[in-house]
Amino acid sequence: MSNEPTPIIEFKNVGLSYDDNSVLKNIDFELEAGKFYTLLGPSGSGKTTILNLISGQLTVTYGDILFEGQVINHVPVEKRHMNTVFQDYGLFPNMNVFENVAFGPSIKGKSKKEIKAKVTEMLELVKLGEYADREITELSGGQRQRVAIARALANDPEVLLLDEPLSALDYKLRKEMQYELREIQQRLGITFVFVTHDQEEALAMSDWIFVMNDGVIQQNGSPEDIYDEPINHFVADFIGESNILDGIMTADYLVHFTGKDFENVDAGMRPNERVEVVLRPEDLDLTTVENGKLVVTIDDQSFRGDYYEITAIDDDGNEWQVQATNKSKVGERVGLTFDPEDIHIMRFNESENDFDARLESYEDDDDNAKK
Amino acid sequence: MVKKIKWANGYLWLVFILLYLPIFFLIVYSFNAGDVMQGWEGFSFKHYTELFADTRIIEIVVSTLLIALLSSLIASIIGTAGALYIYNLKYALAKNIFLSLNNILLVSPDVIIGASFLILFTVMGFALGFTSVLLSHIAFSIPIVVLMVLPRLQEMNQSLVAAAKDLGANNWQMLSRVILPVISPGILAGFFMAFTYSLDDFAVTFFVTGNGFTTLSVEIYSRARQGVSLEINALSAMMFMVSLLLVLAYYIISTRSGKNKKRGTRLVLPASEGL
Amino acid sequence: MPKSKQQRQLFYIIPYGIWLVLFVIAPLILLLFQSLTTQNGHFTLQNYATYFASGTYLLMTFNSVWYAFLITIITLVISYPMAYLLNRLKQKHFWLLLVILPTWINLLLKTYAFIGLLSKTGTVNNFIGLMGIAPQQLLFSNWSFLLVAAYIEIPFMILPIFNSLAEINPRLAQASRDLGANQWQTLRRVILPLSMPGIKAGIQAVFIPSLSLFMITRLIGGNRVITLGTAIEEHFLVTQNWRLGSTIGVILIVAMVITMVLTRERARKSSRNRG
Repeated sequence: MSNEPTPIIEFKNVGLSYDDNSVLKNIDFELEAGKFYTLLGPSGSGKTTILNLISGQLTVTYGDILFEGQVINHVPVEKRHMNTVFQDYGLFPNMNVFENVAFGPSIKGKSKKEIKAKVTEMLELVKLGEYADREITELSGGQRQRVAIARALANDPEVLLLDEPLSALDYKLRKEMQYELREIQQRLGITFVFVTHDQEEALAMSDWIFVMNDGVIQQNGSPEDIYDEPINHFVADFIGESNILDGIMTADYLVHFTGKDFENVDAGMRPNERVEVVLRPEDLDLTTVENGKLVVTIDDQSFRGDYYEITAIDDDGNEWQVQATNKSKVGERVGLTFDPEDIHIMRFNESENDFDARLESYEDDDDNAKK
Repeated sequence: MVKKIKWANGYLWLVFILLYLPIFFLIVYSFNAGDVMQGWEGFSFKHYTELFADTRIIEIVVSTLLIALLSSLIASIIGTAGALYIYNLKYALAKNIFLSLNNILLVSPDVIIGASFLILFTVMGFALGFTSVLLSHIAFSIPIVVLMVLPRLQEMNQSLVAAAKDLGANNWQMLSRVILPVISPGILAGFFMAFTYSLDDFAVTFFVTGNGFTTLSVEIYSRARQGVSLEINALSAMMFMVSLLLVLAYYIISTRSGKNKKRGTRLVLPASEGL
Repeated sequence: MPKSKQQRQLFYIIPYGIWLVLFVIAPLILLLFQSLTTQNGHFTLQNYATYFASGTYLLMTFNSVWYAFLITIITLVISYPMAYLLNRLKQKHFWLLLVILPTWINLLLKTYAFIGLLSKTGTVNNFIGLMGIAPQQLLFSNWSFLLVAAYIEIPFMILPIFNSLAEINPRLAQASRDLGANQWQTLRRVILPLSMPGIKAGIQAVFIPSLSLFMITRLIGGNRVITLGTAIEEHFLVTQNWRLGSTIGVILIVAMVITMVLTRERARKSSRNRG
């Protein structure tokens, strides 16, 4: 990261507490200009708090927040070069669509002509060109959402902050807006920081995801990294569907669970270290009992359109989620099969840095990994 | 930022001091050994003993409270019926007409209410006294109750009523078991408001009270014009303490049932709301 | 309409309807009737002619409106910042109750306190005497009347403004700051327009009663007949000229209706926007 340009936003060991209750702990990250970032986590995980720290609605208890290399801890909200799309939109009910979008530029003292041009441009961008004269109360949820986006963008922010903006929309509209937001971000080339609790949304839209829980960044990485290599139980469970089992790393590339040893592609742990094993439902295949690595009994099955979601129980009593293309019979005994690379191993309490270091180390040299 | 907060606090304090200055002035002088509100002559309880010995003023306090209690009780019943009637009306126009009529007394100046009631009682040949005061207090309290109850009805979950009907409740059961419990906070608020309005009323009572009967406000008015004894201060001090206790009790209750907190303060003084 | 529902509505409308007819509609009609008839019950416009021909009454009307206007402005200027600051406090509902508490003290008692505070040998004069200023005649002046009236009305102005401010989604202030507006711009362009309904309600709650104040004019304003309220009281209870008193009453009602229309028309527009 050292040769890269100055990050647009940087958190240096930032923390926040209210009356001794720590809300955020030791947050460190850098955001590059022009990318789509997502803060993903359950409610109360601290993701919106980070957004409010960036926008200036909250002030850090300790640590520094930098904008283009300058500390902005105490720069008031209105002086920061960023704007927010709020979860409940926060549209001014005493103004119509045009006046809402024009609010920022008019505060800046732009001329009537400039304001008109800007508002028109922004409303076109969010496909609401015809709606300038409407009252806010006359708009649907999706349209209000678009006005909120246009209003925030009308200020030409360098960073757009989006606080769960799609959570109030129905499924189809949400999908549509995901696509559009991504398109707007790429068109304008500005940095987006998007907060959501919806992992599907995060995976679909982001260049880079921060997974948050309990006021701590659990893991950050590209959507693929986070999905394929979750660092701990929380991340594996929160992102996508997972089968998580206790296991023991008998040796490098050999893991023991459900009473058997399986070949895998992970290494760098202590011998016989207790670990957690993750297998994604879509990586599991059903086969005959003879060909299966494990034998399970089908317990439940539901049709999901493009696949069958199957719950099966192995002889040790572990429950398995499987996504199968073919229909099965409840009560039937079948084999379960998967490839060595489908097995993902998670160590207990491994930090992100240690995790990255281990991945790099054993890929080069096995012996070095044991520390 | 710090400076701004100091300014703000200074202003808040200033207004609070102004609001309470006259009241504390009254209370302080109730302990004056002297007989006038000018010049402090030492501490004494003598005005309190005078107060308790003054049967006329005690009688007046009792009848003032009686009027307040009776009028707010009756107004609560009639006002609730009125709110239910207006709520059940189908057409928006009818609703608006009734609401406007309802609000006439709320927005009318007290002098007008007093004068027109005086004409009414005289035309009807009604003797002025306890009953005319009571009827007037009921009359000006009813619209307050309606305004307190109606929002509760409007917020009431419609499926509640539908469910009660579905389960076979008749009119009376529906009212007593479903609707009244739901709107009871509104009725209570209305009662409470009516009670304080009645206690505080001067102008209307002044017009319709006649010669024989008097309430506290009217009594103070007639005494104040001649120059008052500090007995009245003693009385105000005691009334203030009672009000303070009521407010504290009310605050504790309303914060305990946290959900009503927001509504809590709104029901204290709705006179200016919904006009 | 099913029969049971009709019965129910009948049950509700009987008490409420009697009240409406007897205490809302009848008094208004009687007042109007009195103003338009002679002793013998013949129709006449003589009372109105007397009113409009008399310079005293016209001046009094102007005075009433002017004083009510001044009282409203003074209370508004004091109350808006107060309501705004109260809204930002942590225990705001508790502090609001403290604002409301003085309204529970009998109006007459508070007025009476001012007599003690403002009299020639009273506390205020003693206080300014310390600074070497000779005792002033503070009582029985127009200024003392304005002061006491504003004091009485302040809570009634603070409350509706406070409520309308409390209803504003705090997000809107955040959004405004986020879009680059400073605190002052946010107040002027977002908060103030959104609290307009509260301001109008407050104006109604203060202006209309102020038009007809007579008790304060009598006790503090120096027993002069300077407002319409005092004139009505004088005609009904002193000179017993009910017909002229009713005429002034009708004119007061007209003034009241004009106020309502003026404040409501704009209130409706903003409430449409508020949805």
